[in-house]
Amino acid sequence: MKISNITKKFENFSLDWQQETSFNGKIYGIIGSNGCGKTTFMKIAAGLIEPDGGNIDYEGLKPQDITMIFRKPYMIHDTVYKNLIYPLTLRKIKPNDERIEHYLEMAGLTKMKKQYAPSLSSGEQQKLSFIRAMIFEPKLIFVDEAFSNMDIESVHLFENYILKMQKEEPATWIIISHQLSNIKRVCDQVYFMHNGKPEAHGRADEILHGPQNPNLKRYLHNEILTS
Amino acid sequence: MFDFFDQEVLGIIGLTLRMTLTSTAISAVLGIPFGLWLAKTKPNFRATKFLKNLIVSINRTLMGTPPVVVGLVVFLILMRNGPLGSLGWLFTFQAMVIAQVILITPIISGIVYTAANRSIDRIQSFAATMGASKFQTNVLLIRELGNEIFFAVITGFGRAMSEVGAIAIVGGNIRNLTRVMTTTIALDINRGFRDQAILFGIILMIIAFAVQITADLLRKRERRQDENF
Ligand SMILES: Nc1ncnc2c1ncn2[C@@H]1O[C@H](COP(=O)(O)OP(=O)(O)O)[C@@H](O)[C@H]1O
Ligand SMILES: [Mg+2]
Repeated sequence: MKISNITKKFENFSLDWQQETSFNGKIYGIIGSNGCGKTTFMKIAAGLIEPDGGNIDYEGLKPQDITMIFRKPYMIHDTVYKNLIYPLTLRKIKPNDERIEHYLEMAGLTKMKKQYAPSLSSGEQQKLSFIRAMIFEPKLIFVDEAFSNMDIESVHLFENYILKMQKEEPATWIIISHQLSNIKRVCDQVYFMHNGKPEAHGRADEILHGPQNPNLKRYLHNEILTS
Repeated sequence: MFDFFDQEVLGIIGLTLRMTLTSTAISAVLGIPFGLWLAKTKPNFRATKFLKNLIVSINRTLMGTPPVVVGLVVFLILMRNGPLGSLGWLFTFQAMVIAQVILITPIISGIVYTAANRSIDRIQSFAATMGASKFQTNVLLIRELGNEIFFAVITGFGRAMSEVGAIAIVGGNIRNLTRVMTTTIALDINRGFRDQAILFGIILMIIAFAVQITADLLRKRERRQDENF
């Protein structure tokens, strides 16, 4: 997808993503401190909220090919299983039992299949929401701190899954995370946002090691100190 | 003496149920989509924002309209010289249903709006991320808000059932035609038929209780207490 000149104003904040940016077939990371506009930018790029101005070109992708995964996912008031197959139900696709079991296994939710989804722990909800988004094979995937409540083992499991998928069936991933190790392990390109603007961008190793931008330096310094 | 199997008594109970169910059904069909639409509409401009808030305020006001006022208004509209006088509906079943629909629709739409307003953004965003169409999103909304919508309809039904002021005015409490339980009670007390009034009172309470039990049973599906936050 391609975007440019995105703007959005709230009372106390304005987003301003001027540069023309392409997100194509790679894994992109977005980092930056709280309130710098990552989520707002992502919601606009994913088509969930309207920008005040700007261009978004999905280059042929349909809404059905795009997904976004949240830190606090929405759980349908139904079982884990019903939540998982919901996107298939929408597409009138008959669930393949073997694949369903495989995904449940990966998320460690096999035993909870019949459990009421809103009663899962927040980490389990995040895992369910991740596999629920994977099950319909989207081509453009936005991930907003969606691993924040998972244990490290699960985070690694999903990171490996993303890397494996990227080899087999490449998609475009845009990932917001404060876990810099996560960004480092999976992302090809990284954007650093500050006060509503993208201030720096480059290969993950360039951004995370020896950055020039002073704001980015400060952000990385603090993140590393606290993790 | 009061005879439960008396044709007239049964007729009154039947008419009450028929009127209440009809007006609740019509109000649900009008009020649920309106409440959802109101919750979905997020105006961007000052003027449209003001308009929406105004509509919400009017809706809230109508939720508490005194029934006799509604009765009066419907009476004025349906009376022989009124705008819809030619229909000849004054003192008929239709007149009572119209009055009740005016009373109950704002109650249903108001409750649906308040409940939907809280979660509609999240549900809509979620539906969009799953690739749901407009229609599928609406289906999901109604399913996810099912308990709240059901509660709104039950509340409307209860209000319709217990209402007396408006339907007495526009129905006229005519024997075998527009006489329902509540208006019978009011009349019986004046006539000194206290036993019959008490028994109709008890029947009303039993119906209210039955509705409540049904609501609770259906609500068993709701497992909110299991929510983990
Ligand atoms: N709907 C809204 N109304 C007003 N302000 C908002 C709204 N959404 C986000 N903001 C503000 O915009 C800023 C950026 O938010 P967000 O994009 O969520 O930041 P983050 O980078 O932490 O994800 C924050 O200061 C937030 O308060
Ligand atoms: Mg955020």
